[in-house]
Amino acid sequence: MKRFVWVPVLILLLSPGCSLQQEQPGAGIVLEVAVFEGGYGIEWHKSVARRYEQQHPGIRINLWGDPRVDEKLKPRILRRSPPDLTSCTLPVWKLIVAGKLYPLDEALDSRAYGQDITWRQSLVPGILDDFRYGGKTYAVPSNQGAWVCWYDARQFRRHGWKPPRTWREFTALSEQVKAAGVAPLAFQGKYPTYAWATLLSLYQRLVPLERWYAMQDLQPGAFTDPDFIQAARLLQEMATRYYQPGALAMTHTESQMEWVNGRAAMVFCGLWLKNEMKNAIPAGFEMACFPVPIVEGGKGNPRAVYSWGAETFFVFADAKHPKEAADFLKFMLSLSSAHDYVQRLDTLSPVKDCVKGVRISPELQSAVDVLDQRSCLFSDRLADLYLEFSRTALQQSLADLMSGKMTPEAFGARLEAAIEDVRRNPEIYKPPARGVPTP
Amino acid sequence: MTKQRQQRLFILTFLGPPLALYALFVLLPAVNAFRYSLLRWDGLGAPEWVGLGNFRKLLSGSSDFLSAIGHNLFLTFVPGVLILVLALFFAYMVHQRIWGARLFRVAFFFPNVISSVAIALLWVLIYSTTDVGLLNNLLKALGQKEPIAFTESSRLLWAIVPMSVWTATGFFMVLFLAAMENIPETYYEAAKLDGATSGRQFWHITLPLMWDVLTIGIIFLVVGGLKFFDAIWVMENGRPSPATHTMSTLMYSKVFEQYDVGHGTAIAVLLFLLVLAATLVSLRLLRRERIEY
Repeated sequence: MKRFVWVPVLILLLSPGCSLQQEQPGAGIVLEVAVFEGGYGIEWHKSVARRYEQQHPGIRINLWGDPRVDEKLKPRILRRSPPDLTSCTLPVWKLIVAGKLYPLDEALDSRAYGQDITWRQSLVPGILDDFRYGGKTYAVPSNQGAWVCWYDARQFRRHGWKPPRTWREFTALSEQVKAAGVAPLAFQGKYPTYAWATLLSLYQRLVPLERWYAMQDLQPGAFTDPDFIQAARLLQEMATRYYQPGALAMTHTESQMEWVNGRAAMVFCGLWLKNEMKNAIPAGFEMACFPVPIVEGGKGNPRAVYSWGAETFFVFADAKHPKEAADFLKFMLSLSSAHDYVQRLDTLSPVKDCVKGVRISPELQSAVDVLDQRSCLFSDRLADLYLEFSRTALQQSLADLMSGKMTPEAFGARLEAAIEDVRRNPEIYKPPARGVPTP
Repeated sequence: MTKQRQQRLFILTFLGPPLALYALFVLLPAVNAFRYSLLRWDGLGAPEWVGLGNFRKLLSGSSDFLSAIGHNLFLTFVPGVLILVLALFFAYMVHQRIWGARLFRVAFFFPNVISSVAIALLWVLIYSTTDVGLLNNLLKALGQKEPIAFTESSRLLWAIVPMSVWTATGFFMVLFLAAMENIPETYYEAAKLDGATSGRQFWHITLPLMWDVLTIGIIFLVVGGLKFFDAIWVMENGRPSPATHTMSTLMYSKVFEQYDVGHGTAIAVLLFLLVLAATLVSLRLLRRERIEY
């Protein structure tokens, strides 16, 4: 009978949580890198890790990926045993403010791999602005996004349609498309916030950047500004007249499939669209894009492009090897790695000249052409900073605006009230006003 | 060692580990949830004690919590009444041995062997506004020009009603049928001799003698309605809006998307109290003198 007493003890000892196995000493530094495994996968990251190991014999990189990496990291952050480096969708600002991240300035101000400039200088200007806190930089994006309108150039040629430059041309084109029996626009209606970047781009077309950034800096009255209401009106008109019927109940993949299958002529989306739909794009489909059209009479910079840093990496303050992790990140974002990134993943890197001398796909070239003609980049930070605002008031208000249930004026008033709650709430961290970034 | 001690040790050896695991993975997190509901905590940094502040905010008009309760009540009572009526009707019909009764029993019960997520995905396809949408294609054949966005946030709760009825009616039908089958045939024979119609037999014999099971059924529906989560989550693609949030989806959204652990767990605590209260009230309201037979 007595021997049964040891059964549960043995079970517990053999369970993974009670493992007595420890990491082997003497293997040099082992960096743990956890990567969000999304549309871009982790094969490129692994290849960079293997190259880094070859150049740094004393360092081994244990790189793993998971679509739900956040869930795995949360308990480890609390236990203060996070991986050294990570890219995930945890709210980076909450981590920065909670003091969980390691400042990357020392690495950013050191020489970039393979170039005679600092790592900071090798990156697209302004791409780090959203990650600065108390004079230090805490994260670096590994991808550069851009918000554009995609179309099938072959379909456009067949019908004699021309990519529009102004809003009037855009609405005239939409009428032509409709007359041809095709829905002008696909829309990812189940995620109303897909319209946020379009709306902010329209607002930028209407106002000087100082006023656009005043909204980002929570200036009272920004959402009830007549120009913002006008931008909301344009969005509502576009949605009620030109969205594919039923679009507001479609998921991103459903609506994008409608576009790929030619039942909708255009779709506003980021650069990830091709990767997301690569298995569904038919032969002969010619993806091309144009920026959000400029609005006649608008006072905004007509060559500004909505572009932001994505797939953000950061080093944890509790990491075992923060300096080495920052160095690996620098290597990952070196010019040679960026060339490889662009070619393999068909997207853009935030490293300057990442497409120079590299053969890229016509789709990516189309996006590069949009970015090449820019005079400045701008991007939103309200949605990332104020989650309660973006996940409730913004989402619902955009849905109501686009379905025509809410007037543009009521929409502006509702967002103003929601942002007022943010302004008044002392629990919510607000970064210092950033004003218009210097180019 | 005495035989009694040996027996105790034997029992403890096998009961101890599962009890320890239950305490570790069920009781401890439950107690912790009560503690977290009194904190302001993003799940990442240091927590801060706020007392009942999270509850006050939830119950104030500015929160989405009150509208979420409204959605739960809608999803409890609107499909609930239909499910009860239809399940009783079908159970009675099958009990009456109508033609094809066995086939109906299997057919109505069938949705219960499919997972709730798969059912929600199935209904997403039925309601789809694309070419695959069964319902919109049917409406198109009947002359409807443009597809109707049934799963758009403002219509979603109504769209869930037929899905819930289709899914749950079979289960309750089988539950009620089992209760009806247990009623002795002699009562019905006596009633028939007295000239009672089918309706009067149902009202005066069937219903009173299956009251306990009906009460259990109502409690299942109330608890299920208050805890409603999966269909909303699937049909909203993981992003419910204030127009569709139920208490459970709001709780999940607060904790895992807005990183507001305090508010999320405060919702969990209120949900627990509401489910408990609703169960007790249902039991109390439906209490009747038990009929022995």
